[in-house]
Amino acid sequence: MENFAIHIHESYLYGLPLSVVNLIVMFGAAFVVLLGFVAPFAGLLSFIERRIAARIQCRIGPNRVGPQGLLQFLADGVKSLFKEDLIPKVADKPLFIIAPYLVFLGMFTSFVVLPFSSQWIVADLNVGILYLFATAAITVVGLVMAGWGSGSKWSMLGGMRSAAQIISYEIPTGLAALTAILLAGSLSLQEIIAAQGPHPWQWYFFDNPFTFIAFFILFVALVAEGNRAPFDLPEAETELVSGYNTEYSGMRFLFFFFAEWAHLYVLGAILTTLFLGGWQVPESLLASVGAESIAARILELVFFQLKIYVLVFLVVQLRWTVPRVRMDQMMDMCWKYLVPIGFFCVAGVAIWMMLFPDGVSFVKYLLIAFSSAMVLYYFYKVYRNFKDSRAELELNPFV
Amino acid sequence: MGIQTEEMMLNMGPQHPSTHGVIRFVVKSDGEVMTEAVPDVGYLHRSIEKIGEICEYNGFMPYTDRADYLSAMNANQGYAMVVEKLLGLEIPERAEYLRVIAAELNRIISHILSLGAVAMDIGAATPFVLALKEREKVNDLMEALCGQRLTYSYVRIGGVSYDMPPGFIERSLKFLADFEPFMDEFENLVPENKIFIERTAGVGVITREDAIAYNLVGPNLRASGVDWDLRRDMTYSVYPKLQFEVPVGVGSQGVVGDSFDRFIVRIKEIKQSISLLKQCFAQIPEGDFLGEIPRVMKPAVGECYVRTESSRGDMGYYLISDGSKNAFRVRIRTGSFTSMSIIEKISRGMMLADLVTFIASLDVVAPEIDR
Amino acid sequence: MSSGYFNNIKEATVSLFNGFAITLSNMFRKPVTLQYPDKTPRSVTDLMPERSRSWLKVEMPICTACLNCEKACPIDCIKITTEKDPSGRVMSGFDIDMAKCMYCGLCTEPCPTGAIHFIPEFERASFSLDQMISRFVPEGEKVVPYKVPKKDKDEEKNSAKEEAEDKAAEAEPDA
Ligand code: SF4
Ligand code: SF4
Repeated sequence: MENFAIHIHESYLYGLPLSVVNLIVMFGAAFVVLLGFVAPFAGLLSFIERRIAARIQCRIGPNRVGPQGLLQFLADGVKSLFKEDLIPKVADKPLFIIAPYLVFLGMFTSFVVLPFSSQWIVADLNVGILYLFATAAITVVGLVMAGWGSGSKWSMLGGMRSAAQIISYEIPTGLAALTAILLAGSLSLQEIIAAQGPHPWQWYFFDNPFTFIAFFILFVALVAEGNRAPFDLPEAETELVSGYNTEYSGMRFLFFFFAEWAHLYVLGAILTTLFLGGWQVPESLLASVGAESIAARILELVFFQLKIYVLVFLVVQLRWTVPRVRMDQMMDMCWKYLVPIGFFCVAGVAIWMMLFPDGVSFVKYLLIAFSSAMVLYYFYKVYRNFKDSRAELELNPFV
Repeated sequence: MGIQTEEMMLNMGPQHPSTHGVIRFVVKSDGEVMTEAVPDVGYLHRSIEKIGEICEYNGFMPYTDRADYLSAMNANQGYAMVVEKLLGLEIPERAEYLRVIAAELNRIISHILSLGAVAMDIGAATPFVLALKEREKVNDLMEALCGQRLTYSYVRIGGVSYDMPPGFIERSLKFLADFEPFMDEFENLVPENKIFIERTAGVGVITREDAIAYNLVGPNLRASGVDWDLRRDMTYSVYPKLQFEVPVGVGSQGVVGDSFDRFIVRIKEIKQSISLLKQCFAQIPEGDFLGEIPRVMKPAVGECYVRTESSRGDMGYYLISDGSKNAFRVRIRTGSFTSMSIIEKISRGMMLADLVTFIASLDVVAPEIDR
Repeated sequence: MSSGYFNNIKEATVSLFNGFAITLSNMFRKPVTLQYPDKTPRSVTDLMPERSRSWLKVEMPICTACLNCEKACPIDCIKITTEKDPSGRVMSGFDIDMAKCMYCGLCTEPCPTGAIHFIPEFERASFSLDQMISRFVPEGEKVVPYKVPKKDKDEEKNSAKEEAEDKAAEAEPDA
């Protein structure tokens, strides 16, 4: 980044001081990342989510705007832009206005440290994982501000709920992430990925039983942190009308949703990075396209995305499968289940590392075998359910 | 020490996603826990009972649809029965069967929608849409039978307005055959889900005594452990010729009369309705669908009260005739209205999210409360 | 206590697993919804059943101006005006206010000839209430009521109806 700024400074903007050029370049990069990169991701995810939800509910889903409705999110965005920007009279104006941007900021700054391939990363911070959790915490401030600033009781309840929820779930998130950090011995995302390998038995997910459990804890905790169903209490429609975003309209309202879908992606990225080997591609495949070529990078990106989208699919499916939990049950779950088990996993991993510094391949294969058996059983059950329902088969996702 | 906190007054409704129509609750809450929730009814009052005094006897039939739009057939049936009793009409056997078929089909879709709505209010959108999908199939059947999808006005005084269209029995049986696996799947998806159980078990417990004291009716009453069904205990129409069981709440998740029990009782009632329908289709005799009716309906001076078991329980029609073409007074007694009265008592100290579950599990329908 | 703890985890996992299996199997089922209005397999009116109570229509050539329908309607949305004419009694107006109508079908039942009936057409929304009034007698025109041919006194109503329907089929309605 700095080299690029210096380059720009030397060749085009030599009249300006270097620091100003640096600033311009930074803003430019942020702009490009936001518009060209993050917005399509969030939009694409919204499209994917709507289509999945539709098929789960025996509907078709958006399919009119653009090819197969792919541009629906653009249409929705444009529509929101033209909506009246309502600010309630009793709202605390500055807070009300800033809140969505803070939420937005909290989610989108996390994209900075996401390792898309072995070289494509905006900033490989040596405390990357800490940074990720820290930025996620900014979101809480935004949500509470939105809840308080709206001047509506429903919003306030939503804001309070989100504060309680996100702060509580930071702990199991941290604990579960700690297992991977312990194994890798680093906080940098790139190094964590590098410490794993392209093959499942090299992933931390299957490294030992404790990381196996930690993965699920992290999964649940991250879903809860992103206010996704079944933990969408801050915006529980049927209870709080729409929670913290009840009073919002137009573009500001959209920002909340942008952030939600962006979080969905970040969730997948974190899990993939910590436990599923990130962008690692088998060497033979890499060698066939040339290890240093741009094709190799793209291949890595594709692998990374694939894993993310599998996880995203699961989260979306989760949302459309289960009911919402209640506030006290959610707290119970965090403090009585996730946190103790998280501690147990951290301690377990530490002991495991002491006892078997090189890992136990037998356990790894056992875990892989167990997971594969579960997946097979799962598909068998899906098949049985399908047969029992006597419905017509429709495999084409683009009806 | 102790922090001074102030009770918050929340206005839930008249427009709120989970009030199922236009009902208002004045909720006093202390954060998540409520101290009180007082229902405020009357937002959907349309003077249906008064309209009954203006319309002729036959002309009031479409209005009974609107009294309880989710279970219009049952409402039709009750009204037809009360006028027939006043006029002393005999109605053909086939018409009785047709009425019961329509009423039981209607009970199925009313219950399935209610089940879906409970799941929806707890936060699961998919079961609701799947329930609607099945409801639409019955609506198609109903449309073939009487031409409407929601406000059927199928029943007429002295019989019904149409006979079954050709192929109706086969279509219905095919639907029932597909519906049974759907119910199994639905049970697997919703009431066996751990989160669902946690959300409903022990929530909004109505004891047997309370249920009787507050005059609950229908599935809500039975879920509290009272074995009372008008179709069996004060039988009418062709129900004495049919075999069915009356499901009662057993407290499968610990307490009798909680929201989970109400949910399960509705599921079991759907299964009973399926078997009732199959019996009806097997037994239905040939004959007229509309009996001999007087050209001008002028019942003798008198009054009459008829109770039927509608989807939401005991639905009673009280009619006073002054010998003219219009009724002197029509009064409709509905289940949702009495269900509303118990909310204030049970909801004390409940959580806000539980109130939503509780209301949904009572299956109140706003137009039925206010009429 | 401790067994309850692990039992909870187990139940939650198992029920989640079952739920996932159901929702995933749903994804392979054929969607049941129609893409109304432009991508339906057949035109929507064809999809409606025969008895569908959607829009009222009066076959003026066979209307006898008996006013039965007007009397039967509980909300008085049918308005028939008759006049004395040298040639006898004529109808100068037959308006149905479809905005008021509740599609109950009570008016269609007492009609002696079946002139007033429902058609399975429902896409008739409009921006003004005036347009919702169906006028079956055009402004300024008069329609001579149909006379049921006098046959046997006990002739069944049905046969008159059938005959009337035949006639209706021949005469293209002018409404
Ligand atoms: S359908 Fe009912 S409301 Fe409409 S005109 Fe006929 S009788 Fe009146
Ligand atoms: S439409 Fe039928 S009922 Fe109405 S006036 Fe004409 S003939 Fe009589």
